[in-house]
Amino acid sequence: MIYLDNAASGGKKPPEVIFSVQNALKNYSSNPGRSGHNGSINTALMVYNARKTIVDFFGADNEQNVVFTLNCTHALNYVIKGVLQENDHIVISSLEHNAVMRPVTKLQNIKNISYDMASVSEDDDITVENFKKLINKNTKMVVCTHASNVTGKILPIEKIGKLCKEKGVLFAVDAAQSAGVIPINMQKMNIDFLCLAPHKSLLAPMGVGVLISRSKLNNTVLEGGTGTESLNFEQPLEMPEMLESGTINVPAIAGVTAGIEVLKKQGINNIYKKELGLIKYLYEQLNRLENVILYTKEPKFYDSVPLISFNIKDYNSFEVAEFLNKNNIAVRAGLHCAPTAHKTIGTLNVGTIRVSVGYFNNYYEINYLINVLKKYKKLKNCIDTIQ
Amino acid sequence: MHKYLISTGTVTYAIKGRDVLRRNGYKAEIKRSVGLGRIGCGYGVAFVGDSKKAEELLRFAGVKVLEIKQINE
Repeated sequence: MIYLDNAASGGKKPPEVIFSVQNALKNYSSNPGRSGHNGSINTALMVYNARKTIVDFFGADNEQNVVFTLNCTHALNYVIKGVLQENDHIVISSLEHNAVMRPVTKLQNIKNISYDMASVSEDDDITVENFKKLINKNTKMVVCTHASNVTGKILPIEKIGKLCKEKGVLFAVDAAQSAGVIPINMQKMNIDFLCLAPHKSLLAPMGVGVLISRSKLNNTVLEGGTGTESLNFEQPLEMPEMLESGTINVPAIAGVTAGIEVLKKQGINNIYKKELGLIKYLYEQLNRLENVILYTKEPKFYDSVPLISFNIKDYNSFEVAEFLNKNNIAVRAGLHCAPTAHKTIGTLNVGTIRVSVGYFNNYYEINYLINVLKKYKKLKNCIDTIQ
Repeated sequence: MHKYLISTGTVTYAIKGRDVLRRNGYKAEIKRSVGLGRIGCGYGVAFVGDSKKAEELLRFAGVKVLEIKQINE
């Protein structure tokens, strides 16, 4: 299988990550932060080391602010529901995933919060201006994706972070598509809350998400056992345990550390340049085909993560994806859980075929995809004509 | 030299506290707190040496200090 669905989840894992998960299952299966025996404490030390690795990699400021969640959606829910109170206002971007849209909509219904959507432009200064115009005296927070999972567009996070600091509003970033792809420094970018999906470009297993919180949350979403203050029925307020009720996914956390170490060893910028080079090549090839519809300009370095959306004129995206699947190519079709982004590019009614490149992909695989696509119905005739 | 246990509540604070004390020359280790205390079970850092200085170091590093007591081992 040629795996080109890395924006949904990294389909393969490096041997270092597989080893670390196996090692955790073998040697770190005691519950961290619950008991006093050596096994429990050793596991807690391994988890703490993961927090330190994350702090270092994302320019955060404190291990205690690294919270292990179930996934990135879980982390975003913690932020959105933990910060917003009755009648608060937030600003989000026009490219948000449902991981943001749904909790925001729920709070709109039950807490009367309101939101405005800032349009994302090709011109970053216009995007920042669009955010600026929508921040008002009731605005509590800006929540936005770092990179769209539909168009690949990287938002000007550092500039938006600066704006938020100037305006005195909190800034939460959904880094599901960018973490592990391009450098992120929370302090430099003025990010208060960073939400990660380690199973994507951080090369880690599914089953763990990360929230790095540099600001206080008002509410918890989940309460329960933390291994401490057992006589207190109120949720303890110490981070990260305040947000880590119940047993955490230790093997997956071990995989996060290993994944980040692989990225550091290879160099995140080197990996990104290779991946974006592949997607630029694919874009150029698709752009030569008459009946292929592309929705963005050619991807540029540090303006796009390595993914593109396209369609074949008059054909359903699901049908094309199924054709590719039958030819052993994994891509994703449809709305990618981000209808607002599709509304922005005008594909809400049809969806798109999304190709997302990752750590393991190469030019042979992209050429294979192009050759298979050229055999597809309408394109076949088109290619014959071009040649 | 006496041995002390500084209760920190969470294991994360305890690990952070252990690292702070070790960086400052203390021989320190993580311990499950002895007894339930006022609010129930938790963790702490056991160490040998100047308890006042240790407490200062932990507080300066942002580690929560719940209780300090001398222990016998």
